[in-house]
Amino acid sequence: MTAPTPDAWLSAAARQQPARGGLSAQVAVTLGTLDLDVSLDVAAGEVVALLGPNGAGKTTLLRALAGLVGLRSGRVELDGRVLDDTAHGVCVSPELRGAGMVFQDHLLFPHLTAADNVAFGLRARGMAAGPAREAAVDWLARVGLPDAARAKPRALSGGQAQRVALARALAFEPSMLLMDEPLSALDVEARLAIRRELRAHLEAFGGPCLVITHDPVEAIALATRLVIVEAGRVVQDGSIEDVTQRPRSTWIAELVGLNLYRGEARGHAIRLPSNQELVTATLANGKVFAAVHPRAVALYRGRPEGTPRNVWAGTIGGLDVQGDRIRVHVDGPLPVVAEVTAAAVAALDLGVGGDVYVSVKAAEVNLYPA
Amino acid sequence: MAWLGVLAMALVILPLVGLLVSTPWRRLGDLLSDQTVLAALRLSLLTSLAALTASTVLGVPLAWLLARRDFPAKTFLRALCVLPMVLPPVVGGVALLLAFGRRGLIGQPLDQLTGITLPFTTSGVVLAETFVAMPFLVVTVEAGLRSMDRRYEDVAATLGASRWLSFRRVTLPLLGPSLGAGMALCWARALGEFGATITFAGNLSGRTQTMPLAVYLQLERDVDAAILLSLVLLAVSVVVLVALRGRYLDSG
Repeated sequence: MTAPTPDAWLSAAARQQPARGGLSAQVAVTLGTLDLDVSLDVAAGEVVALLGPNGAGKTTLLRALAGLVGLRSGRVELDGRVLDDTAHGVCVSPELRGAGMVFQDHLLFPHLTAADNVAFGLRARGMAAGPAREAAVDWLARVGLPDAARAKPRALSGGQAQRVALARALAFEPSMLLMDEPLSALDVEARLAIRRELRAHLEAFGGPCLVITHDPVEAIALATRLVIVEAGRVVQDGSIEDVTQRPRSTWIAELVGLNLYRGEARGHAIRLPSNQELVTATLANGKVFAAVHPRAVALYRGRPEGTPRNVWAGTIGGLDVQGDRIRVHVDGPLPVVAEVTAAAVAALDLGVGGDVYVSVKAAEVNLYPA
Repeated sequence: MAWLGVLAMALVILPLVGLLVSTPWRRLGDLLSDQTVLAALRLSLLTSLAALTASTVLGVPLAWLLARRDFPAKTFLRALCVLPMVLPPVVGGVALLLAFGRRGLIGQPLDQLTGITLPFTTSGVVLAETFVAMPFLVVTVEAGLRSMDRRYEDVAATLGASRWLSFRRVTLPLLGPSLGAGMALCWARALGEFGATITFAGNLSGRTQTMPLAVYLQLERDVDAAILLSLVLLAVSVVVLVALRGRYLDSG
């Protein structure tokens, strides 16, 4: 199969896109034990990645935006059109919202061919069979499957099926694109290939786009902004740099591989809930986050001497090999992860259950307001 | 245990063998051209297919209602809707008479307003068969709807399909196997219906005398004809069973 290059699709698609408006949503949903209450604005052409632990409410948020779950209260406006406004009894049904949705396991209609799947949205909007089919075949070519028109979903590979699902969601020119872990059902190889293509399609799309993902690398590859949702609330909403450098929750800190502490700063000292103290080089007052990169954490067998720094004792809880470096989990009053070389692990004879001293320079404690 | 199992097998199989052994194969030709037999056969096919059509047109929406929507007293209403499956058919026939009879709850106004009467007519047979057979289709289709991944309907909705379009283009095709099974069960049950039919519609040759009724009547007059009619019904049952092989013949 010869597919046009991503650049070719991009420019072709960009020329066709009409000007679009953004999404502005305040969404409150109660569903089982989940209490979701989220405010979110996404500009036209912006790609936002939704990250969060399982059960945080990410999928429910997308389903609410698509109109598949009713709001307890809230207001959703898309492209200048009010889709939901519980205060005024407005609730536009899903088929009239113009939200394209891509699901985790593609959910292609198994009884329809790839082309009929892609044409479904156009046919539902009253387009005649002939033109709808032409448009569908055109879209299949755009996602790199020019020969798949007659194939039934079961004959497609996971990657191909997800491409068809993307074409199906884009073919009817939706005002917004919602994707629920679009790559997670794919094997690693297909995931890398499709991620690259997906990025080109998202850039060409032009409307607001929300992508749920579990994978921070995927989020960074696809999105320009990250929104972290935990237990039904947005805990952080910022640029990739902001979230990866200054995480505002333990979950996201772990995901991006930082040690994160929360405490009360007074001068150069931060008092942590465990009654420990961290010394920093920055002056601060009030509630703060303190982030420490694992590479800035040094380990010793004996108590280190020298300049004022943070030193405490702990026990090794586990070792993870990551490339040529090893992440050492140190338990104790102040749990911490240190990233050291394999040589250091051997030289210090670090093993699970061993006692170590942890040392962090004051200048390596990165402080920001909580 | 094993012996009881074998005994159970014999209990089911021996009567069928008896039927096959006693069949007057030599009279097959003239019996099949006998007027009473032919009339019963024609009437049974007509009424059972009409009942199947009515059951499908009404039963699928009912199954959808039960599987997809919430309404007050749903559990109770659902139980009432499938009651005919366990109700003695004669009781069903009596109930139909009381509702649709000339002096019945619905029958009287229906007669006065339109002049239509249902008891002891061919339409009455269709009504009795539908009453008894439709629940089989409803429970099968409802189970199919419940086991279906509803997110396909969500996808259809986000793609702009109205509920009706989504039902026609997505739900129904995905429901295919369950619908087929439900229709086969429903048709077989309608074809074999006896008690409700004879109670509500009587036993008028050519008008309400379906095959099971003819079998019962012929048993007194011409045993060979009764056996032959039974054989036809048996053949139909086997065909239905084979059509449902995925459900009942696979010992998996």
